[in-house]
Amino acid sequence: MRIFIQGAGCVSAQDSGVFPGEIRRYEGDRLPVADPDYKQWIDIKQIRRMGRAIKMGVAASHMSLEAAGFPNPDAIIMGTAYGCLADTGVFLQKMVSQHEDMLTPTAFIQSTHNTVAGQIALLLGCHAYNNTFVHGAFSFENALQDSLLLLAEDPSRQILTGATDEITEYSHTILRRFGLYRQAVSAGEGAAFFVLSAEKGATSLAQLTAVEMLYRPASEKETADQLAAFLLRNGVQPGGLSLVLTGRNGDEGNDAYYATVERSLFGDTPIAAFKPFCGEYPTATAFAVWMAAGCLNRGVVPQEAMVKGAAPAQPERILIWNHHHGKHHSFILLEKC
Amino acid sequence: MEKLMQDLKEQIIQQLNLQEVKPEDIGDDQPLFKEGLGLDSIDALELIVLLQQHHNIRVAKPEDGPNIFYSVRTMAEYITAEKAKQA
Repeated sequence: MRIFIQGAGCVSAQDSGVFPGEIRRYEGDRLPVADPDYKQWIDIKQIRRMGRAIKMGVAASHMSLEAAGFPNPDAIIMGTAYGCLADTGVFLQKMVSQHEDMLTPTAFIQSTHNTVAGQIALLLGCHAYNNTFVHGAFSFENALQDSLLLLAEDPSRQILTGATDEITEYSHTILRRFGLYRQAVSAGEGAAFFVLSAEKGATSLAQLTAVEMLYRPASEKETADQLAAFLLRNGVQPGGLSLVLTGRNGDEGNDAYYATVERSLFGDTPIAAFKPFCGEYPTATAFAVWMAAGCLNRGVVPQEAMVKGAAPAQPERILIWNHHHGKHHSFILLEKC
Repeated sequence: MEKLMQDLKEQIIQQLNLQEVKPEDIGDDQPLFKEGLGLDSIDALELIVLLQQHHNIRVAKPEDGPNIFYSVRTMAEYITAEKAKQA
């Protein structure tokens, strides 16, 4: 079954719109989001209650629906690893400082993981299927798989799917203490949403061919074998890829894993990285899908993204391969349409 | 009363995170809910907490809420009356 990305929207450290626009470069261990003017999509009376995860998610979802020209999706499915961290922090902090007394409702209401998809539905007046997956670095991939299953069940559906995650001062400090942002790794955040359907339309950006996950492979060899099998299942030889878009993040051990597998599998295939543009966060693969769809649609891969080889002109087929701490591996295959 | 109403306006803006609203934008007798400042039922809960936190006053009868929270002036009058009872 062929699935098409009919519209995409992204709030990230890069400009919104279709990638690649003007590439923004940052230094430091945290990439700031280039916030759009959220008042375009959200009434100011509602914005005051929304944390950044919600605002980014609502904005990205609206951008994708506007791009697809489809205002009312048949399902809203998203992934988030951390949920609405800022409001969770506010609520917990008040619980402690106020001895569990006089707690206000707003931070609590806004703190649950499914608040983002709920707010998107409320703003759209959408009463359709609404689901949020919270599975660490597989959150977005699970949302994608649920979307593909729903489309297989009923190909006439238009599905809004995506992911959002935010950084807060507390989370950044804690994760840094855990060693997540050592070496050259920059923390990231953002939201990316897509309108998926089974029919190619005038706005189609790219074809989403397949999504698979691999949890805790025993070795690089097992990962290479699984990757090769994934490609074979989808009728693709490793040499048939225009580009492998990896989740290199600047950590030597993390990046060496990619290099080892690439040597055994991909030969001269050009290799690129997406995390220098969006930072490291568990749902960063949503950014990667937005980036790859833009590259396929525009026929351009920015040279700044390249790790090995020259940027391919007019790419036809891009494999996104991300791993999060060597445990969560995801393979997403996109093709030009 | 004037000082209390000014303080209340600042507290309301902070508690409800009313972005782009300044104290002088809120009229003393302007309705806080619906057609006035446009507050809703969640804000009503926030205002009840505001009275507890900033003025140490608990609203004993929820049915009095619409009268107490009609405007900044009615809130100030309620606080003044309750403080007098506590004295």
